Amino acid sequence: MKFTVNRQSFIKKLNDVSRAISTKTTIPILTGLKLVVTDNEITFTGSDTDISIETTLRANDDNAELTVEEPGNIVLPARFFSEIVKRLPEATMTIAVKEGFQANITSGAAAFTINGLDANNYPHLPEIESNDEVTLAGDVFRDIINTTVIAVSNQESRPILTGVHFTLAGDEFTAVATDSHRLSQRKVTLPNPASETHDVIIPGKSLVELSRMIGEEQQDVKMRLAENQVLFMLGDTAFYSRLLEGNYPDTSRLIPSESETTMEISAPALLAAIERASLLSHESRNNVVKLTLSDTATDATATIFGNSPDVGAVEENLSTLALDGNDLEISFNPDYLKDALRSFGQSQIKLSFTSALRPFTLVPSEDGENFIQLITPVRTF
Amino acid sequence: MGESLLQVPLTIDTSRKIIHVDMDAFYASIEERDHPEFRTHPLIIAKDPRTTGGHGVVTTANYAARKLGVHSAMSAAEAQKLAPKATFKTPDFTTYRAVSAQIHKIFHEYTDHIEPIAFDEAYLDVTNNKQHIDSAVALAHKLQAEIWETVHLTCSTGISYNKFLAKLASDYAKPVGVTVILPGDAERFLAPLSIEKFRGVGKKTVPKMQALGITDGAALLKHSEADLMQHFGKLGYGLYRHVRGSDDRPVEWQRERKSIGREETYDTPLTSEADAETQLQLLATELVDHLMKQQRHGQTIVLKVRDAEFNTLTKRVTQTEYYENDAAILYEAAKDIFDETADLNAGIRLLGITMTNLAPLGFENLSLPLWTPVSDRAF
Repeated sequence: MKFTVNRQSFIKKLNDVSRAISTKTTIPILTGLKLVVTDNEITFTGSDTDISIETTLRANDDNAELTVEEPGNIVLPARFFSEIVKRLPEATMTIAVKEGFQANITSGAAAFTINGLDANNYPHLPEIESNDEVTLAGDVFRDIINTTVIAVSNQESRPILTGVHFTLAGDEFTAVATDSHRLSQRKVTLPNPASETHDVIIPGKSLVELSRMIGEEQQDVKMRLAENQVLFMLGDTAFYSRLLEGNYPDTSRLIPSESETTMEISAPALLAAIERASLLSHESRNNVVKLTLSDTATDATATIFGNSPDVGAVEENLSTLALDGNDLEISFNPDYLKDALRSFGQSQIKLSFTSALRPFTLVPSEDGENFIQLITPVRTF
Repeated sequence: MGESLLQVPLTIDTSRKIIHVDMDAFYASIEERDHPEFRTHPLIIAKDPRTTGGHGVVTTANYAARKLGVHSAMSAAEAQKLAPKATFKTPDFTTYRAVSAQIHKIFHEYTDHIEPIAFDEAYLDVTNNKQHIDSAVALAHKLQAEIWETVHLTCSTGISYNKFLAKLASDYAKPVGVTVILPGDAERFLAPLSIEKFRGVGKKTVPKMQALGITDGAALLKHSEADLMQHFGKLGYGLYRHVRGSDDRPVEWQRERKSIGREETYDTPLTSEADAETQLQLLATELVDHLMKQQRHGQTIVLKVRDAEFNTLTKRVTQTEYYENDAAILYEAAKDIFDETADLNAGIRLLGITMTNLAPLGFENLSLPLWTPVSDRAF
């Protein structure tokens, strides 16, 4: 195996697959990066068994400046290899493997020899045969992930809640996540209906990595589902994730259909107020802020309270756009509300409350159907 | 060794009236009260070293045993050598706890400003007491008498205007003493006091003190604040104030408990997985009872394991949510730590589960009824 390549192009691909490579793995070879070199391309593979990423650098990509002298394959220790490649002096580098799985990396005057492993011992990535391919715009899919993944649980005691539940029926694509204290649900209408219905739970960690990979690029994401794996195709990159097994709870029944008190407010304004209140609530043993809503004939006020027995207290009147319904006093964890509010960006939102001990919801004022964040309150005494 | 740049004003607040109540040989006295036959000869509260293979430490001893040199925290085997004829009594903490509760009930007749230090020791701030007794000395005598009438046990009380002096005072005349340190008397009382009597001066600090020529309160008084802080840091700051009779720490009557735990010692070390599991389940169940009684829940679970060679290992796991007060959940969490850390081959002498990072249960983040049908009761 021997090839010469533009270092920056190579590093970009290396960074993509490195997302899947962990130094803490039970299978030693998985700390390595697999390179498969053919006459006109290099395929990079990384995996931690939960996530596997495969990407290709092609000779016909001009920026790659790829010339292959001799095809071959090797597994190289990912951490060292990537540190080395990033520090090489010249714009191009040459990698050659002669015998005994030793790789020579040269660039300008620098020459490294590092020990690799036999690529034949690297596990095979699953074949995902599926006729049913769902295509989503990259930015839309990234948005779906980022707005739901905040609600996944980080408690391994209920593994199923560490994932986002995706359902696909006809042209309706729904994502739900909950850690039992909050819930986030997002619906998207697909331009082309799917022929089969699907119901899968994708680990939150996989989705976070996937969303980072989608990045700011506007390219489409193709999704293929199999029995226990899901494959996402982003251009030349394939992202595999395992699925979580089990039945996701029926969450549709948890979203209240009626409310007693509603408030409309700008999401960033409420976020700023909650951040101020949580400065003090974080210092208290119980991270709780209180919101009181009062709608009298002459005046409607919404007030946020936070306090810490050691530090002091904060009180702030919110400038609401609308406030209607019964008076209410409700306490909640401000961190849950902060996460939810960030998912609305700059939009105007509507909060709906039933009572002090029932969950409340947040929806964009413009579209209450397709995006909802739900938060359970804190019972005090 | 120049002057400190910061001059922290030294204030002496003499307006408070604080009583330190210290029960006299508390555990031993309870045993003597309940077993008159123990009264006449040395009694040591510890497991009999002849039945434990020499293990165990002395919890406390009665005055007869103390005369022979027995004191708390010495090994039971050593105590037996000093007092070969002594009776050994396994401590009965259930009874001691119950008696302590009776005494606290009496305290509450005088004030709610009580800071418990142990079963047998507490600070009371009686500045504004419920019985409007102006003289703290009269109040202390009344308290002593009432404790005697109710539980037939004696205590010593120390009275002063801060906790540091009150504690030294109660120690001054034991048993059945009442000692007062008045504002003007503090320096005179402290000057001859040996340095290890000062709060915070322990085994490690005494040699450092001696190297500086500080053997008693009088010597301590000669050292500047900057000097003491340079050598002893925060301790030096406190000592500089204490030796001048200044201590503004309040009686922390509303102090939150930092942790709640249960532990158990096994005379026959556990060697099987099944035994360990049973014991962990038992501890988890007791712990949940305790947490519920105190209306607390915690974010951190701590497992303590001591093997037959007396190697003690503690490991903690913290989660962002509070652990539910459910024996099965606490057992699972403890078992996970156990599987990771414990070595049954060495035999396990002690297991303990503790919850810390506690918060009142009054605050509960409600959960969505994910796994159960929605009902009105669910929220």
